[in-house]
Amino acid sequence: MKRRQGWLFFIIFLLTLSFYLLINYPLQLGLDLQGGSQLTLQIIKEEGKVTRDELEAVNSVIDKRVNNLGVSESNLQTLGGDQLILELPGEQNPLVASRVLGKTALLEFRTQKEGTSTDLKTLQLQRFSIKELIEQYSFEEKNQNNDNFLKVIQDDLKDIEQELNYLSTSNDLYGKLIEIKKYVDNEITNLFIKTDLSGKDLINAGRRQEQTNSNWEVLLTFSNSGGEKFAEITKSIAGTNQLLAIILDGESISEASVGNQFASTGITGGSATISGNFSAENARELEVQLKGGSLPLPIEIVETNTIGALLGSKNILKSLYAAISGLIFVGIFMIFNYRILGFVSVLSLVLYGFFNLALYSLIPVTLTLPGISGLILSIGMAVDANILIFERIREELYDGNTLTRSIDSGFQRANSSIVDGHITTLLSCFVLFLLGTNFVKGFAATLGIGVLISLFTSLNCSKTILRFFTTYQSLRQKNLYLPKNNFSN
Amino acid sequence: MKYNLELIKNKKKIISFSTFLILFSLLGILYSTFNTSYKKPINLGMDFVGGNELRIERVCEEECSNLSPDSVLENLREISSNKNFINNIKLQFQNNNKLISIRTPYLSIEESNNLITNLDNIIGPLYYESKDSRLIGPKLGKRLLTNCITSLLVSLFAISLYITIRFDKKYALFALLALFHDLLIVFGIFSWLGIILSVEVNSLFAVSLLTIAGYSVNDTVVIFDRIRENLKSKKEGYNETIQLSVNESFRRTTFTSITTLIPLLSIILFGSYSLFWFSLALSLGIIVGSYSSILLAPSLLLKD
Repeated sequence: MKRRQGWLFFIIFLLTLSFYLLINYPLQLGLDLQGGSQLTLQIIKEEGKVTRDELEAVNSVIDKRVNNLGVSESNLQTLGGDQLILELPGEQNPLVASRVLGKTALLEFRTQKEGTSTDLKTLQLQRFSIKELIEQYSFEEKNQNNDNFLKVIQDDLKDIEQELNYLSTSNDLYGKLIEIKKYVDNEITNLFIKTDLSGKDLINAGRRQEQTNSNWEVLLTFSNSGGEKFAEITKSIAGTNQLLAIILDGESISEASVGNQFASTGITGGSATISGNFSAENARELEVQLKGGSLPLPIEIVETNTIGALLGSKNILKSLYAAISGLIFVGIFMIFNYRILGFVSVLSLVLYGFFNLALYSLIPVTLTLPGISGLILSIGMAVDANILIFERIREELYDGNTLTRSIDSGFQRANSSIVDGHITTLLSCFVLFLLGTNFVKGFAATLGIGVLISLFTSLNCSKTILRFFTTYQSLRQKNLYLPKNNFSN
Repeated sequence: MKYNLELIKNKKKIISFSTFLILFSLLGILYSTFNTSYKKPINLGMDFVGGNELRIERVCEEECSNLSPDSVLENLREISSNKNFINNIKLQFQNNNKLISIRTPYLSIEESNNLITNLDNIIGPLYYESKDSRLIGPKLGKRLLTNCITSLLVSLFAISLYITIRFDKKYALFALLALFHDLLIVFGIFSWLGIILSVEVNSLFAVSLLTIAGYSVNDTVVIFDRIRENLKSKKEGYNETIQLSVNESFRRTTFTSITTLIPLLSIILFGSYSLFWFSLALSLGIIVGSYSSILLAPSLLLKD
């Protein structure tokens, strides 16, 4: 009896500890329960596997960009070697994040090839007209498009195509417009020669509103060596008709001439501004991208989940209803069939619930919808062990054994098949956890933890509680353990 | 209080019933592979093929006005810039026209936002806090599918290995037969659900298959344990001992199935809609699993 008393205190201690943990370390709720967005970013690599270093490099760039965006409480983690998962809790629009994160943001400084001034001028004009056409197209589309206008855009596009001597291959008009714009951008970039100055030489980026109009400009601050390179480059083209282009991801965002006054020293001071008709939003996005540096490998956003905050709290409520009603009905079933033994299993189920939740806050396990369903499902499985034991106890009682003996041998004999039987479930959970997606992992984790804890609660806790009950004479009558009508065996 | 299942007498019936269930499932799988628009053994959902799924509620004063999906689509077509996806859009109203659910091919976040804005213009105002939107790229979908299939194969292999180590060859073989019987039937039922009600399966379905596998084997293990134990000690005939063992563990097996089904039923009744089909698949698996553990697997052990 003494040994069991020790267990009783241990269980009470664990229960107190669980309460303490749950109060001080609240459960972490997944996005499907609190609302928010989750983006899955896939690293694209044409050949070979993404190495650990590359993954970390991409991770750190994305991390910097997310921080600079100023989203609160975001959470970034890697998944499966070549994916990143970004969580944005609350009502934060994933659109801006997706725009800023998805770009490689490779910044280059290039100088113009000699004798290409006329070519560049024509291309610049064409770039201007194609941008106009794209704007027009978007405008017409929004305002219930008029076929006549579309015809005009189509004709204008054809003119540009003729001038370029390039035919677009896309099916729809919008695709054609974008394709031609890319072609022109590419042609412009090709008129410039690479220098050894790039985004790597930046130590900071900023933005400010231009004084003369409402446009924004982006400020670049170079490192010492970057500043020297910039001076060198600007010196080499100062006073000539060659331009300096700032190219972002293959598209020239600014072409500027360098005045004659810089011919002797170049532009010194280690900073430059890009003023290319930026809106406030565009300027901010570019700033964030430049501050974070360029991505060593391109990424693609392959999954976006957004869940409204209200839906999240509804999900919590629904899961709570499901869990509580499940618990109540299982309890009724057990008490109906096993009387006192059933009541014991209900008590150990309640313990089971608290231990589970406490462990979630300790590890910590983020609670998601599939996770909760794993927990609810494991309620049923936790009773499984109790049923195995109770059936044995009943058999022993029917055979005319004393209560204490029946209980002892019931627990003893059921032990091995309980442990055995749970192994297959644990195997499934283990595989799910290793190979599953984030979503699936939640389920595997809660079900697996549940099965393990249930071994403790249904073997140890219920035995201790039962022993405690049987110390009272009034609770030792056999008919409290067996339904009366079944006595006539 | 004793149960008396006449296993020996009914062996033929049990095996015919299981054969019927298996044929029924195979028929569904074949029909689904050749005669449906998707040409797959089972109707793969967005998780596996990629796409965009949106559910959002309307803000209505008292009752939401009646809307026809066709007219909404017509309006959408007029104001959307990307005409392509409109042709493949599926739109439904639920909860007395309050809840709109939409499926489209994969859209970028930008396009998806435009779609919501357009919807807001047509049938708004919309209740943004109730939004549930999922965008899955086709590449990720393929990856998820391979992932799920690998998980299933690996875990089936692990379970088979465990069973073969733990039991004699004959027991292991029949336990595994019962397991594949259970999985095939649940799969077949969902093939039929896909054909008849266009129910789609997502990654949670794969999870439910895995859980069923673990659970079903667990049940069979308990009964086979009892059989082994009794064969060692009892003096009755082989077949009679098996029948006795099944009757002895009948209460235990049905009771644990019931206590597992009860929480699943509460999820089906009260839980979130995203867990509905998942819980249903699990429930089916547990029902079929207990049937095969109690009746099918021991029947296979019987000698003629």
